[in-house]
Amino acid sequence: MQTVKLAAIPAAFSSSCFMFRPVTKTLGLISRRNHSQKPPFRLLARAFSAPALQTIDTTDNKGGVAVKPQWKAAIDFKWIRDNKEAVSANIRNRNSNANLELVLELYEKMLNVQKEVDRLREERNAVANKMKGKLEPSERQKLIEEGKNLKEGLVTLEEDLVKLTDELQQEAQCIPNMTHPDVPVGGEDCSIIRKTVGNPSVFNFPVKDHFQLGKALDIFDFDAAAEVSGSKFYYLKNEAVMLEMGLINWTLSEVIKRGFTPLTTPEIVRSSVVEKCGFQPRGANTQVYSIEGTDQCLIGTAEIPVGGIHMDSILSESLLPLKYAAFSHCFRTEAGAAGTATRGLYRVHQFSKLEMFIFCQPEESDSYHEELIRIEEDLYSSLGLHFKTVDMATEDLGAPAYRKFDVEAWMPGLGRYGEISSASNCTDYQSRRLGIRYRPSQPSSTNTKKGKGPTRFVHTLNATACAIPRMIICLLENYQQEDGSVIIPEPLRPFMGGLERISPKCS
Amino acid sequence: MKGKLEPSERQKLIEEGKNLKEGLVTLEEDLVKLTDELQQEAQCIPNMTHPDVPVGGEDCSIIRKTVGNPSVFNFPVKDHFQLGKALDIFDFDAAAEVSGSKFYYLKNEAVMLEMGLINWTLSEVIKRGFTPLTTPEIVRSSVVEKCGFQPRGANTQVYSIEGTDQCLIGTAEIPVGGIHMDSILSESLLPLKYAAFSHCFRTEAGAAGTATRGLYRVHQFSKLEMFIFCQPEESDSYHEELIRIEEDLYSSLGLHFKTVDMATEDLGAPAYRKFDVEAWMPGLGRYGEISSASNCTDYQSRRLGIRYRPSQPSSTNTKKGKGPTRFVHTLNATACAIPRMIICLLENYQQEDGSVIIPEPLRPFMGGLERISPKCS
Repeated sequence: MQTVKLAAIPAAFSSSCFMFRPVTKTLGLISRRNHSQKPPFRLLARAFSAPALQTIDTTDNKGGVAVKPQWKAAIDFKWIRDNKEAVSANIRNRNSNANLELVLELYEKMLNVQKEVDRLREERNAVANKMKGKLEPSERQKLIEEGKNLKEGLVTLEEDLVKLTDELQQEAQCIPNMTHPDVPVGGEDCSIIRKTVGNPSVFNFPVKDHFQLGKALDIFDFDAAAEVSGSKFYYLKNEAVMLEMGLINWTLSEVIKRGFTPLTTPEIVRSSVVEKCGFQPRGANTQVYSIEGTDQCLIGTAEIPVGGIHMDSILSESLLPLKYAAFSHCFRTEAGAAGTATRGLYRVHQFSKLEMFIFCQPEESDSYHEELIRIEEDLYSSLGLHFKTVDMATEDLGAPAYRKFDVEAWMPGLGRYGEISSASNCTDYQSRRLGIRYRPSQPSSTNTKKGKGPTRFVHTLNATACAIPRMIICLLENYQQEDGSVIIPEPLRPFMGGLERISPKCS
Repeated sequence: MKGKLEPSERQKLIEEGKNLKEGLVTLEEDLVKLTDELQQEAQCIPNMTHPDVPVGGEDCSIIRKTVGNPSVFNFPVKDHFQLGKALDIFDFDAAAEVSGSKFYYLKNEAVMLEMGLINWTLSEVIKRGFTPLTTPEIVRSSVVEKCGFQPRGANTQVYSIEGTDQCLIGTAEIPVGGIHMDSILSESLLPLKYAAFSHCFRTEAGAAGTATRGLYRVHQFSKLEMFIFCQPEESDSYHEELIRIEEDLYSSLGLHFKTVDMATEDLGAPAYRKFDVEAWMPGLGRYGEISSASNCTDYQSRRLGIRYRPSQPSSTNTKKGKGPTRFVHTLNATACAIPRMIICLLENYQQEDGSVIIPEPLRPFMGGLERISPKCS
């Protein structure tokens, strides 16, 4: 499609409504200086990334009966066995509960049972062949007996094989993705800052947090939402609505320019799709809302319905890379975060987000990861934010992520850095579960069977382009003025009808 | 028993008191049961009806106004589903796998169309004095009931969240009505006019058989909803204002439509009067509802507990501002329901080559895009 320059709202509309005072040209950005910062606000950084895949609860598994899986990840058991030291070290580094020993044991058992099954089948076929010729009645009777014994033996073994395979699958699916060699090993204090942009803004008046600012500007309502829906819900009002629209429209136009296909997605999906992306809809402390009476859930991120678009498909190589920019509302239970006393928009049950998603060839995923983080850094720099990009350490990677970069932006009202985006390279973890392959194109001389070479799993990546509530926090807190008004950064103004400033309402 | 008494007198009174107390307890229990049953039955009584509303079924509805004429095509028209496929702007198949039937992805220019429609409509209603709002899409089921919906009925339109008393909204009418729940507003605040943007979720239970492919009936969609809280005497005139705004919006987009005064059997329980706008959808070959404007008078406010205090003329009451409260009236009207609007725009503005012209008012809100063209395959 042609590149669309989105100038969402013409200037005409803005003047009538908000009664803002004429903007003085001298506002400029607040000068900056160094400032000792509190440690980054890490709490539930996972809120924006794929949570660690908890061990599947095999409660009554003493008899070794695995729950019949609804779907199977295409796991390369042989590769795991051949690389068990590396896999084991990776599991340790990530502090994962996966049981590699059990997986290897089950795999060996399964192979052996498979061999037995194959052997018995051969014998049974041999017996069947013998019975085709002319035989003495006593001979025939003996063979019939033999055939019957083999058949019974086979049935039992085949049942064992199924049980073993299911159990193996269940255990192996707990094994987290491998890890990029440059990722620091350890807990959150081991994460490495890759890049810092800008400096904390300097204020010559006491700074307010976004909650306070928003109240005076009459742009939020948390109290009414608590009555209507519960805590951690909110209404946006007046200029906050324009801000959300402006942010989405601007971000969308920026990523479209960079070759991403815009998309809106279902927000209700089958729970199996949620699982295949590496989330746990029914675990304790799950982040996922389920719909009563169905096998459906609400999405916590557009990553899920976008990953699902190409479920169980073989893509032709010429289509790759596929780059989507998906807009959706996201819903998260934030279970386990009840105690965190952060008021306002920092942790909420529902929010709007524009997510970038790439399907690509394996050899290219590292470089697309770099591209995604660069796009994020460009976007946030353009808005004048001060932030650091962090290479997340092994214990903070979700099970699907091979490598994860988080962007933490300075939130002066909160007095700390807060995560505003996350970019993950999931390599083939999701594609092996979602069943997304591609067919490498064959050089014309090597293969007469046109286009019938072996397929490979694609790699998938996802990155937050814009998570609205965290962006609103950043903009309100960084651009606040002494009189409580908030300046709108230049790039957003054409997408907000030219609005330059949000001013306190006359009470 | 407070005075000085002979022991036998006192004893008689104690007996009497005890009998009265027991009788009271029983009666009070009866009273509670009766009240509850009365409440339950009475809450089933629908709102009263405006005297001009035609009595009867859907064939009795009256056309109030017709705008435009069905577009004339000199080539075979396609429906939006077909058009959308060739333009590569929808995906229903992938959505069926990921979510189920009646779900969809919008792609490419359809995303721009949704954004453009929302942004344009929002700017238009803001000009007319509506306060923009985004709302929670998960709400307590009691709020859903207070607005006149039945979250747990058979064939309910409402999705419930497992393990909670919460539901997904089918319209922003619900969270907006709830904003002023259990409140007394001062008269000077009225009318309160909100334009609320939200995603809406509907089970469409009971609609399974209706074989309409595409966007006509879907489980999830974006909608901009107008909502007014006002004084009782003004609700009829605000109803007229709301339908006029809708008619202006749809005329501006060049649609051909009729405004219908819905007959008594087609009003929901909350609605005193309801105007629907049905727009011509040439690909489907029929009119389809694109909006609805209801005056709910005090049906919702009596349930949501929304009152206002009429201002007192200074001479009549020494107790300042303590006059009796009255229930507000509430109204709601669809400014823009995205999927139905997309159907109208695609089907009415289709060209022979399968491209679709964007109506003028939307273009500045879509980066100047003038036309959606078929993609080279």
